[in-house]
Amino acid sequence: MTTQVRTRATNSHPQPAATNDYRRGYSRRARRSDLFVMMLWASGAAAAALFLASGGAAQFGSIAETLTSIGIITGLVGTDFILVMLVLAARIPLIDRTIGHDRAIAVHRSLGKPALYLLLAHGVMLLVGYGLSSGINPIAEIGPMLALPDMPLAFIGLGLLIAVVVTSVVAVRRHFSYEGWHLVHLLSYVSVAFALPHQLSVGGVLADGTVQRIYWIALYVLALGSIITFRFAEPLVSSLRHRLRVAAVTEIAPGVTTIQLDGHALRGLGASGGQFFIWRFWTPQTWWHSHPISLSAMPTESTARITIRELGAGSARLSAVPVGTRVSIEGPYGLFSEAARTSPKLAIIAAGIGVTPVRALLEHAAFAPGEATVLLRASTPEETYHWDEIRAIAEAKGAACYSMIGHRPRRGDSWMAASDVARGVTLETAFPDLADSDVYLCGPTAWLDLVEAEVRATGVRPEQIHAERFDW
Amino acid sequence: MRHTLETMGTVASIELPEGWSSELGAIAAIFEEIEQRFSLYRPDSELSRIACGELALAGASIELLASYSRALEWRSTTSGFFSPHRPDGVIDLNGIVKAEAIERAGAHLQAVGCPSWSVNVGGDILVSPTGEAQLVGIADPVDSSALLCSITLSGSRLALATSGSAQRGDHIWRGGSTELTHFVQVSVAAADIVTADVLATAIVAGGPEALDDVTGRWDVDVITVDRSGALRASPGLLRSLVTNAAA
Amino acid sequence: MRTRAILGSILASASVLIVGYQAGTAVTTSNGSSISLPIGGTTAGSSGSGSSTSAAAPAATGPSDGTYTGASVNTRFGAVQVQVTIAGGSISKLDALHLTNADGRSVQISNYAAPILRSEVLNSQSTRVSNVGGATYTTQAYLTSVQSALDQAGA
Repeated sequence: MTTQVRTRATNSHPQPAATNDYRRGYSRRARRSDLFVMMLWASGAAAAALFLASGGAAQFGSIAETLTSIGIITGLVGTDFILVMLVLAARIPLIDRTIGHDRAIAVHRSLGKPALYLLLAHGVMLLVGYGLSSGINPIAEIGPMLALPDMPLAFIGLGLLIAVVVTSVVAVRRHFSYEGWHLVHLLSYVSVAFALPHQLSVGGVLADGTVQRIYWIALYVLALGSIITFRFAEPLVSSLRHRLRVAAVTEIAPGVTTIQLDGHALRGLGASGGQFFIWRFWTPQTWWHSHPISLSAMPTESTARITIRELGAGSARLSAVPVGTRVSIEGPYGLFSEAARTSPKLAIIAAGIGVTPVRALLEHAAFAPGEATVLLRASTPEETYHWDEIRAIAEAKGAACYSMIGHRPRRGDSWMAASDVARGVTLETAFPDLADSDVYLCGPTAWLDLVEAEVRATGVRPEQIHAERFDW
Repeated sequence: MRHTLETMGTVASIELPEGWSSELGAIAAIFEEIEQRFSLYRPDSELSRIACGELALAGASIELLASYSRALEWRSTTSGFFSPHRPDGVIDLNGIVKAEAIERAGAHLQAVGCPSWSVNVGGDILVSPTGEAQLVGIADPVDSSALLCSITLSGSRLALATSGSAQRGDHIWRGGSTELTHFVQVSVAAADIVTADVLATAIVAGGPEALDDVTGRWDVDVITVDRSGALRASPGLLRSLVTNAAA
Repeated sequence: MRTRAILGSILASASVLIVGYQAGTAVTTSNGSSISLPIGGTTAGSSGSGSSTSAAAPAATGPSDGTYTGASVNTRFGAVQVQVTIAGGSISKLDALHLTNADGRSVQISNYAAPILRSEVLNSQSTRVSNVGGATYTTQAYLTSVQSALDQAGA
């Protein structure tokens, strides 16, 4: 179980910065994040406003006309939301650097149902509005509508979207495997494609020479272009450039395996300690399943390392990949790194498999001696893999390192080991400068929730807390 | 062979091939039945009795209710430009029953297998779907002895109905007051006579707005004459004009 | 910072919507005069910004001669854009520029009844007609009508 500690100073090793620099860096990120939020809502408003500007504002004369106009507006805003959702799912590096991939996906998820409701309203209102103006009931209006070109496709597109949203509702998603759910989710691309023709012909939003046309073309190009670039092109280029292969697979603890990888120009990956990649191992049993895994050490020019714990069938298969297997990666992603710093000091708490990114983070992070404190948590001595490496790095860089082994107390909401709770150990006693620290937390979800709650309770601001939950 | 008979306050001209004259009796019976039921000029007709309150609408015959319901549907789709309701509240189905009479006569002739026929009641014409295309002229509203133009009726245009303001009244009730109609004569060519008749009436009543609405929503051909004598025609009608090639 | 994001979003969205609404209710054409064209469909001839292919100074009373292209209007059947040619102060030609692909519905839009000259229909009068259509004549009026002549001749 020998492991090598890679603490070579590299060219990219950051130097500790002044307090103000950290705060300024954070303000910049916060401003960018707010700007993105504003752009999101403004884009929806723009979709409606462009319609109003090109004559739509005058089309609120009668009830029928008003309903029709509202029907058109809901369709425009709904489509705008769908395109924004595509942008959020595209893993654009700028967005990942600003709010993190996880938060981008959370926003993506929160837009799903509103977008669907808007598009359903779009269909219903137009049927009612057109029905009113031609004097026939909305159900009868469906027939003539289906006779128009491109409308049957649009109806099918809406049906597909309903399927996508329904299967993504938590209660339904539970019954699917990730791959099964993802396959259905990919139908959203088909839905967008099917809806496009009717937007061009019957929808008339791309009429020549209008501002509306420019806006929608730009939005489609942004959404689809981002997906193609960052979900397909860039990972492909990256994989071809770095040519990663499995060099060694070692079990370092019951159910925990490290995979050593060989590659080229790996420093060009631009990974910051604590970030993760999405990995695909090309064996017949594993090629169709991709995994988000953090690097457990900073990569050298030609080697990289990940550590995985068997949580299910998928990760179990990973531990069995043969040496020489080709590997493709997408990334780096995540804000669990230097990029998220706001404060001069560091407080790190990791449990179980959560030590993985922390090990890389500690190697890469910039701090002066005495400015960083690390607390390692495990229920049993079997779960203390990589602890030796972390202790070595901590000693070399002048960080304090505590370990806490033992089960949690049976009663109460403590995240600490029962024996330490009895001794009177608290967050404050372990981390004296918590208020001035960036707090990095990583471990199983249930445990992490308790830690985060307690950290919040001490008054640490939300932007100082960086949490990575490891058993989604 | 041409036959004429007086009915419904006007004259019907019916053209039947040799040997089919016996059908005239059946057609006359159809017209008479309709007149007995719907004529507001006969005090004992069913519609008259409803108008003076003697008979409740709910107790009317199936045939009357069917015509009334059909008229109401047309009122709905023409946004009220065609309506069986007069401003004084009386139900006047005159606008639809004449066309229904022609429709029934035509259906009867088709049912008995008459190969080629035309039925013209007071200027509204229906021709048989079988047989050769038929040439019809459209009267000039300003000169009763002259024609405005001639068109062919065949295929999807078997019916030609003409509505004039002199017939419907020079004035229309719109927005609480009367105004002169924009068009003095409107001719509509369609696949069936009821559609043609109702739409022609709707366009006279509604003016240019109705004309554009009708040509936009129905597959019909139209030619209109306004008060100054100016004409408007749909492209399909222009295509069906007869060129005077033959002598 | 979240408050800033929320307030900024509300402000940005509201301004965008107001600007759009204002732009939409201001009715102008590049010629400076608004032309109301008898265009069929669900919208009542919204004259937004149009482009003139032959520049002409707007007359005081009506549109001056030239070719005018209207704004593209959304109707149930798709975008419709028409071009009118005005000669002698009235519409002499009307062309549909933008229609959806030909199918039953869009053909009906191009069914617009355009003004025509009497001379265009005059030479279609034929002596070989079998029937005359006209507004319902009374029995009295029938006697002096063309139909009556036809019936007597063909009896």
